[in-house]
Amino acid sequence: MLKTEGLGYWYQDKDQPLFQGIDLEFDVGQSYAILGHSGSGKTTFLSLIAGLDKPKEGDIKLNDRSLKQIGLTNFRRHDVSIVFQAYNLFTYMSPLNNLLTAMAITDAAHAGDKAYARQVLNDLGIGADLAERNVQHLSGGQQQRVAIARTMCCDAKLVVADEPTGNLDEDNTKEVIQQFQKIAHEQGKCVIIVTHEPDVANQCDHQFRLENKQFVELA
Amino acid sequence: MNFFKRAWLNVWAKKGRSVLLILVSSAILMFVLAGLLIQSAAVKATSQAKADVGATVTLSANRQAAFKKMQSRTTSSKSSKMTLTPVKLSDAAKVAQLSNISGYNVTSSTSVNASSYDTVSMSTGMGSSTGGGPGGMKSSTSTGDTQIDGVTATSLTTAFSNKQSKITKGRGITAADKNTNNVVIEKDLASQNNLTVGDTLTVKEATGDKDKVKLKVVGIYKASSTSSSAASPMSTDPANTMYTSYTLANTFKGSKYAGTADSVTFNVSNPAKVSSVKTAGKKLINTSKYSLSTDDASYQTVKASMDNVEGFANKIVWLVAIAGTIILALIVILMIRERRFEIGVLLSLGEARWKVIAQFFTEMLMVIVVAVAIAGVGGKFVGNQLGSQLVSQSATTTQTTSSSTGQPGGGEPSGNGGSGMRGGNGGPGNTSQTTKQATDTKLEVTVSAVNLAELGGFGLAITFLSIMIASGGILRLEPKKVLIS
Ligand SMILES: Nc1ncnc2c1ncn2[C@@H]1O[C@H](COP(=O)(O)OP(=O)(O)OP(=O)(O)O)[C@@H](O)[C@H]1O
Ligand SMILES: [Mg+2]
Repeated sequence: MLKTEGLGYWYQDKDQPLFQGIDLEFDVGQSYAILGHSGSGKTTFLSLIAGLDKPKEGDIKLNDRSLKQIGLTNFRRHDVSIVFQAYNLFTYMSPLNNLLTAMAITDAAHAGDKAYARQVLNDLGIGADLAERNVQHLSGGQQQRVAIARTMCCDAKLVVADEPTGNLDEDNTKEVIQQFQKIAHEQGKCVIIVTHEPDVANQCDHQFRLENKQFVELA
Repeated sequence: MNFFKRAWLNVWAKKGRSVLLILVSSAILMFVLAGLLIQSAAVKATSQAKADVGATVTLSANRQAAFKKMQSRTTSSKSSKMTLTPVKLSDAAKVAQLSNISGYNVTSSTSVNASSYDTVSMSTGMGSSTGGGPGGMKSSTSTGDTQIDGVTATSLTTAFSNKQSKITKGRGITAADKNTNNVVIEKDLASQNNLTVGDTLTVKEATGDKDKVKLKVVGIYKASSTSSSAASPMSTDPANTMYTSYTLANTFKGSKYAGTADSVTFNVSNPAKVSSVKTAGKKLINTSKYSLSTDDASYQTVKASMDNVEGFANKIVWLVAIAGTIILALIVILMIRERRFEIGVLLSLGEARWKVIAQFFTEMLMVIVVAVAIAGVGGKFVGNQLGSQLVSQSATTTQTTSSSTGQPGGGEPSGNGGSGMRGGNGGPGNTSQTTKQATDTKLEVTVSAVNLAELGGFGLAITFLSIMIASGGILRLEPKKVLIS
């Protein structure tokens, strides 16, 4: 579904790219983990395939259409859903309104459907009481589950997550990874997770390591 | 309209911040409203002043031409008498037909001698400085001790319309008193001679066959001391001035004065049209015999005073609007910086940048709506305070300017002989009179629906501009930089 063709990126110095000539393919119904040393460029790579930045070299294609053609805003609205380490929820809203807002912006099929949003939250352990509270009054694990619920509510086929378990304890981490597997296998989406925890990576269907400016698939 | 809901959620969730924003906006809008109120009050007051003060055009003998004629005659022949042609009422009637003239007053003055009563003698020692007497226009043959001011109606004279003189008993002279011997006398003269409304008194003509004439008192008036000391002939006490119909005054002067007047004063309904009335009037009269002079000094003084206030209010409105826009823009810029993360999340979800701006605009709009309501209540108070302050201030300014410039033909105190040229024209005491009027003009400050609509417009414009200025931050914001650190 998502393809990178000769993808390369550098910040200041063209002679010292973070990665270069990357040809990768990601499919729906699968989960991918990206590992690598700190500073190797994992987040940078993710920001490219999430449509938050433009490649310096090469191209990214969604179903054989270049992101340039689709337009980054359009791509972000309809084709990709992002989960951040810092949750990135609207702090002045309840979990329910966070979901409703995201669904409205992304023109999701269930946009405006409160009952559906409540159900999704409930399935992730956010009960009716928590769903109406301000998100700032939720724990880190709960907030991350709200962020995952947001992803589930939206129709984007591509889900990218940058260290989604970075702030969570063991139990919460397990729970969150399970949910990502669900998104890949049950919702039939393509999930790409950047992580530095081997345990998390092991649970994904595929693992890549960013090393020496190249992505190496691990067995 | 998802951004609308977000705006509401944000304003509601951050109540403290919203209240602060409302307070700041109210303060700004209150000043805008104060300016708007003074502005509209000044406009109203100016049009009111037009109606109240009015302006006049006076038809009288052409003194300058007569004076020149006299001079040329002095050099060539022996006669040195300056002859003034009295105004023919038939000529005046022609001028009265012009548009914008709402009415006219005929003035014919002379003097007679007391017969059945005693005149009031001057208490002050001013009697010695008789000088040139009451300007040439008052009858050339005036030698009597009682001044007769013949008019169409007392209410049309400056002394009465300015409230310097007031009817205290009975009634004033009206157009219906034409061809009667009715008279209105001064209070002091009345009490000294035990005269009251309905009594008769006898005067003796000062010219011709010196007939005795019986007059019937129909009213008693009180002359204010300030006006009389300045406006009446120096030789007699103001209490010795009687008002009659101009026809009676003409009778005292002699038969050849029938159907004439010293001057005819036309009231101009729209003071702004004074000069065009004068131009049109000049075409109807023989300008070598008559002259038309205008007096809109009172109107001009009030107008200048109000223009001052209006100009000042205009400046306030714009200064405050500009300052308010800058202040609000800075606040919005700070707010946008503080909310970069939230904007980043919106952009990462694929929200259009213009909708993010629209959300901020909606939030500010909600704040402004409340602020307009608050300012509407508070602005009246501020406007009242400012309004009274401003009028008293500008009245003093105009007073200084008008007295230093001096009104043409008006300001000179009568007196020394040479001033016969211009002394009588328009009457002295003009300056004091007009400033009194200006101070009397109150700025009535009321908040009308129009004011509130204007205020709303300003609020909208200020909000729109400040969001536009601040939106650069949103347009340049890169979600990657904000979200990934
Ligand atoms: N905006 C930027 N300008 C310049 N250099 C940057 C910028 N952002 C990141 N870098 C540099 O690029 C390199 C890759 O950064 P990136 O955040 O992609 O690493 P990462 O693999 O996600 O690391 P971590 O595991 O610590 O999150 C780092 O050396 C970083 O210092
Ligand atoms: Mg990273």
